[in-house]
Amino acid sequence: MTGQVTSGFPAIHEIWVYLSGSPLLALILTLGAYQLGLIVYERANRHPLANPVLIAIVLIAATITLIDMPYPKYFEGAQFVHFLLGTATVSLAVPIYKGLSAMRGRIVPLLAALVAGGVTSIVSAVGIARLLGADAAIVGGFVAKSVTAPIAMGIAERIGVSPTLTAVFAVSTGILGAVLARFVLDAVRSREWWQRGFAIGVAAHGLGTSRAFSVNPEAGAYSSLAMGLHGVLGAVLIPLGARVVGF
Amino acid sequence: MISGLVQILLFQGLGELVTHFLLPLVPGPVIGLILLLGFLAIRKGVNRALDEVATVFSQHFGLLFVPAAVGVVMFWPHLKTHAVAVVTALVVSVVLTVAVTALVLKGLSRSSGK
Repeated sequence: MTGQVTSGFPAIHEIWVYLSGSPLLALILTLGAYQLGLIVYERANRHPLANPVLIAIVLIAATITLIDMPYPKYFEGAQFVHFLLGTATVSLAVPIYKGLSAMRGRIVPLLAALVAGGVTSIVSAVGIARLLGADAAIVGGFVAKSVTAPIAMGIAERIGVSPTLTAVFAVSTGILGAVLARFVLDAVRSREWWQRGFAIGVAAHGLGTSRAFSVNPEAGAYSSLAMGLHGVLGAVLIPLGARVVGF
Repeated sequence: MISGLVQILLFQGLGELVTHFLLPLVPGPVIGLILLLGFLAIRKGVNRALDEVATVFSQHFGLLFVPAAVGVVMFWPHLKTHAVAVVTALVVSVVLTVAVTALVLKGLSRSSGK
């Protein structure tokens, strides 16, 4: 990098300055890192630990730290991907609709399990974090973390806690759920695919669901049903609950 | 594919409007989801274009989380000082949630004779 400009051919740092000023760099970084994550995931025979989302996050976080790009600047470009979360949430209506006919006759156990799971998720996370001395900002981030990230961030904004921290916890929960659910379900001797799928969807939303789909289609369908129902109920009940306990 | 995207964006827009003017407590995309669900129930079926888009979204849902989750860099020092609490809460909570949900399902569907 000499900084010299030969006529008609810009120096590399000029290209850099130009690129980093446009949303393009953040978009290339985001999609490129995810693509790399997918390649690694396939190479690792879809091992739950080689989660493509986790890989992408680590790669991007390392890169923007390395090139000294502040997070808000990265987000300025990446917001185009982020925006689609809302659109993807609306599209959840399709798997829910398809799952509804399969739900008939199972509606009571499913709803009871959803409520029990949702309450367990909030109470255990908030309780443990408080007990171990985490501060209010962190505890707040745990409230909506089992709800799928786009809805969780909406809930977080409404109850006045950090949407970013909530998203970080939601994604971590999704990854942990995708990795651990199998062992937990075996331990409690849950054998039916629909029950296993639903439990993963309640606990680990979108990331759990894509894991469930890659194991068994029935589990995947019930998992997306659980994710959607948890999102809808969470969006309505969590802000109300937060108001009641005066969060 | 495009007509599916248009349908979803329309319902998203509708949801945003309802949230803004009528129901500020519920996030717009959730209202959009519920409205689309109602539309599908009335139409009694999912058209192919809509199904295609929904499938693409559900396959790559994870990608869409990435920009927000990279925000972890902003909280890194803060999270590090509370690492034990954060990790314990995340792990124990997810294990308990999966276990409780699965056990309730098992218990209730057995008593009702499946």
